[in-house]
Parts: sequence; C-alpha cells; structure tokens
Amino acid sequence: MFKSTLINEAIKALHKKRTYISFILLFFLVPLIILAIGNGADYLEKQIYGQLTDSFVVFGSLTNGYLASYLIIAILAGQMPFLATIVASEIVSGEYAKGTFRMYLSRPVSRTKILFSKLIVVILYTIIMMFFFVFYTLGVSCAFLGIGDLAVFHKGLLFLSDGDILWRFFLAFIISTGVMLAISNLCFMLSTFSRNSVTPIIITISTVFIGSAISFIPLEIFESVNPYLFTGYIDLFLAAFHDPIPWDLIQDASIVCLLWSLIFVTISFYNFTNKEILS
Amino acid sequence: MPNILNFENVSKKYGDLDALNKIQFTIPENSIFAILGPNGSGKSTLIKILAGLITSWNGNILYKNKSIRIDTDYLKNFGFIIEDPSFYEYLSAKKNLQIFCRLTNTPFSRINEVLDIVDLLDRQYDHVSNYSYGMKQRLGIAQALLHDPKILILDEPNNGLDPIGINQMADIIYRLNHEGKTICISTHSLNEVDRLCSDVAILKNGKLIINKNIRNEIKTKNYFRIEISDLNKALEVIKKIKGVSILSKQSNSIIVSQNSRNLSLLNNKTLKKLKCIQSIHTESDLIEYYYV
Repeated sequence: MFKSTLINEAIKALHKKRTYISFILLFFLVPLIILAIGNGADYLEKQIYGQLTDSFVVFGSLTNGYLASYLIIAILAGQMPFLATIVASEIVSGEYAKGTFRMYLSRPVSRTKILFSKLIVVILYTIIMMFFFVFYTLGVSCAFLGIGDLAVFHKGLLFLSDGDILWRFFLAFIISTGVMLAISNLCFMLSTFSRNSVTPIIITISTVFIGSAISFIPLEIFESVNPYLFTGYIDLFLAAFHDPIPWDLIQDASIVCLLWSLIFVTISFYNFTNKEILS
Repeated sequence: MPNILNFENVSKKYGDLDALNKIQFTIPENSIFAILGPNGSGKSTLIKILAGLITSWNGNILYKNKSIRIDTDYLKNFGFIIEDPSFYEYLSAKKNLQIFCRLTNTPFSRINEVLDIVDLLDRQYDHVSNYSYGMKQRLGIAQALLHDPKILILDEPNNGLDPIGINQMADIIYRLNHEGKTICISTHSLNEVDRLCSDVAILKNGKLIINKNIRNEIKTKNYFRIEISDLNKALEVIKKIKGVSILSKQSNSIIVSQNSRNLSLLNNKTLKKLKCIQSIHTESDLIEYYYV
C-alpha cells in the first residue's frame, strides 16, 4: 500500500508545473552566469586575486570551470532555500486548499502512510534539485571554461589541484543538501498547518533570513546560539574546499540538521494525523 | 430491513458550539436515506465524522453492528462525495480515478465501468479543469463507486446542477439503489427528499428532530392541521379520539396524526360540533411540516 501512495504522490508532483520551476530557472541562469564569468575573466581575476599578483607570478588563467562552479554555488546557495520550498510548501496545504483531501482521506488508507509518501517526495525533490544545481553547474562550467586547478581563499590562498576537486564538489553537494533538507522539512511541517502554499514559504524564508542574520551579527548571545541552528550552516559547503576539511564541524552540522529535521517531521505527523478536515 | 448504520449519541463540539448533540438514528440497508436540514444543521459534520475526516468526536457509529472506532477498515465499504467534488484538476479524469484505484487496490479496468455508469467514458482523457460542474459531480459519483462500496454517502449531490443534471443524478441514484446499494443523501432540499428518499432524518441546530420511514408513514397514517380558537378545550377533545396522536400544538393550530384505518378526522362529528375548532385540513407535506 505504501508503494501505491508513493506512486500517487510522485504522479501528482510530476504533473504540477511548479515542480519544474527550479530546474528551468537553474537551466537558464547557470549558463548565463558562466558566460559572464568567461567573458569577464580578466576583470574577475583582478578583483579576486588583484593584490596577490604583487607576490605571485601566475601563468595562464585562474578562471576555469571549477572556479566558475565554486563561485556560482557560493552565490546561489543562499537562494536555494527559496527553491527548496516550492514543492514542500504546497504538497499538503495545496490539498487542504483545493479540497482534494476530502476524497483522498476518506479512503481506507492511514494518514501516516499518506504523509510519509509526501515526505519522501519532498526529500527526493530536494536531493534531485540540489544534485542538479551542483552537478549541472559543474558540468556546464567545465564544458564552457575547461578544467584546471582551483584557487580558493582559506587561511590565505589555497590551490587545489584538478585531481583533488571533484570529490570536494560531491562533499559540498552532501553538506548543502543536508541543510536544505532541514529547510524543506520545516516548510513541509508548516504546510501541514497551513491552508495555502504562500504562508509556509514566507515563514520558512523568514526563518532562514533571521537565522542567517543571527549567524552574521557578532553578538555573544547569537554566537552561543548559532551552532544549534540549522540556518547557521547554509554556507558550510564551502568547508568542502578547505584543507584540512573540518570534519568535526561537518559532523556537528549533520547532527543539528538531522535533529531539526526529526523535530519538524514529528510535529508534521502529529498535526496531520490529528487534523480535522473541515473544508 | 436490517440496519446497516447506527448512529449512537454522536456529538461534536466546535469550541462552545454544539455542532452535533447526541444524534441517534439508524439507516436501513438498501434504503435511500436522507439527512435533511438547513445550512449549519450538522449534516456535513456528521458525514465528515463517518468519513474519518473529523477525528475527535463523542458517541459511537456502528457499521453492521461493529464500531467504526474498532473496525477501521470499514471505509472500504463506503463511497463518499463530500461537499463540492474536488479533483486534481491538472490531471485527466482517468488519471484521477487511477489515483483512487491505487488506494483501494482496485483494478484499473473498473475505471471504464464507472465512467460508463456516469456517462463520462468519452471524456476520460480530458483534464478535469475542463469539466463543467455537473460533469465533476458525476465524476465524483464515479470515484465514489470505484471500489464498489456497499454504501454511498452523497453530500448535497444536486448542488449547483441544472434541471437536466438533477434528473441525471436522480437516475443514477435510483439505478444504484436498485442494484442493492444503500444511498445516504445529505440535503437541504425538500423536493429531493420527497422525490428520491424512503427514509429521512431531520437535523436542526445539531439536534435530531425526527427519524422516519416516510413512505411507511404516509401509507399507514394521515396527518391533519386543525385550526383552533381555544387550545385547551380542543386538546381535551382530541386526546379522547381513538388512533390520534398530537404531533405539535400552538395557540391557534394543532397538528395530529391518525392511523389510516380509523375514520378520518375530517368526518369526525364531535370535532365538527366544537365551537373552538375553526377548520380541519389534511397536512399533505409531512416533511415540510417537520422541517419548517
């Protein structure tokens, strides 16, 4: 029976236009940014590495597919919570709003199974979207700009050789997906409370915004709270390009994100199984 | 006929408001049963409790003498249309029905059968967003019939339908009842009850006003409205007449029922002689009397 409800949820998600918004947006946006980086390579290098040219002699161009991917992911990662909420915000609230739950929930199927199927779809969507984001960016960047060493700032300038890079992008994908799953689970939980899909998006994005502000404002109270908030780890994927990689920090972040996700999912199930469908 | 559903002291509160107050009635098997009541009387609340959409309520409901609180699998015997028929509008009618088939392990071959019953077979590939309201109502019946339930619960099935749609719906309901299904219709339309139903429960402000087999009642009893000038005097006399029960009394009128085998009150000489009796009429619309 779980297979049936999962197929149902997958069919519903695949037939909705909003499911494809993220992919279409990234599909067009990423190549545009890559083209811009390719055209403005000299200017970009001057901006990033300008002062370092006094101390180093650089042969060739530092601008390649890896650098472009690194920059694009760093720039867009902060915007990904918007895209992560697109499906999660509507998957439960949309059925309340349109009244389809009146028919769907009056069948001999447990609400737990139905919600679990919806949760799986949200998780799959988030993983696939983040995978597409990271590896589509990487693929198109490398196709346009070629490959080479990646120069990043970490305790000075760090050069990562091209053989040492791909697995770091994979690690960056895992870290950012973990944080994004916590965000989409928050939105999923809000969707079980709401009767429209806008409210969960607004509350989720506001939470991310406030959480990010807490992580940036250098106040003692915020600094003590920040490690326990999943919002403080949105840019943690950058740690995948550090040397050595801060595994302890990544482990802490994983635990925090997992705990928050569990809290959100537990509340979702409690609310949904006790919810009265009145309209 | 044995009862298929028993409602036992079913109550539901929304805050301080009694949406349902100890509702108690039975639905006979293979009947066309009406739950009649004005808007806000509690009809939809009762149906939502039965459908499992409302989770917190008091009392008990028995399906074939088993509590639905214990036998949670009872829903496989029910088909519902609750309020407006709401489908996944971005999917075709067929894909919508496939979704419901998966929930009850119903083979997809059943889809054509139910679409044929509601005359939508040739529109099965159209998106539901292109359907008229009447077509959606019929598709609602199709989804309710998909798993071949024993009871169909239809909440305001004629809402928003034009006269042709109402006739089509009545035909479908009669046909399904003839095939052995118990049909329960929630409505505020007296015409609908009069036209379709064999039994009725009338709800008002969350309370059960009456639960009767209308056809039997009409066959075995006569109803009269007696216009009076002196209530007490009139009551004194009427109470003494054999086979007469007083249903309601007001300062200027009394409504009574009388077994049809007795001599009609219209010909009762004692009553005719009484000065306090102004007139005696046959009360033909029993449902309306209870309802209003």
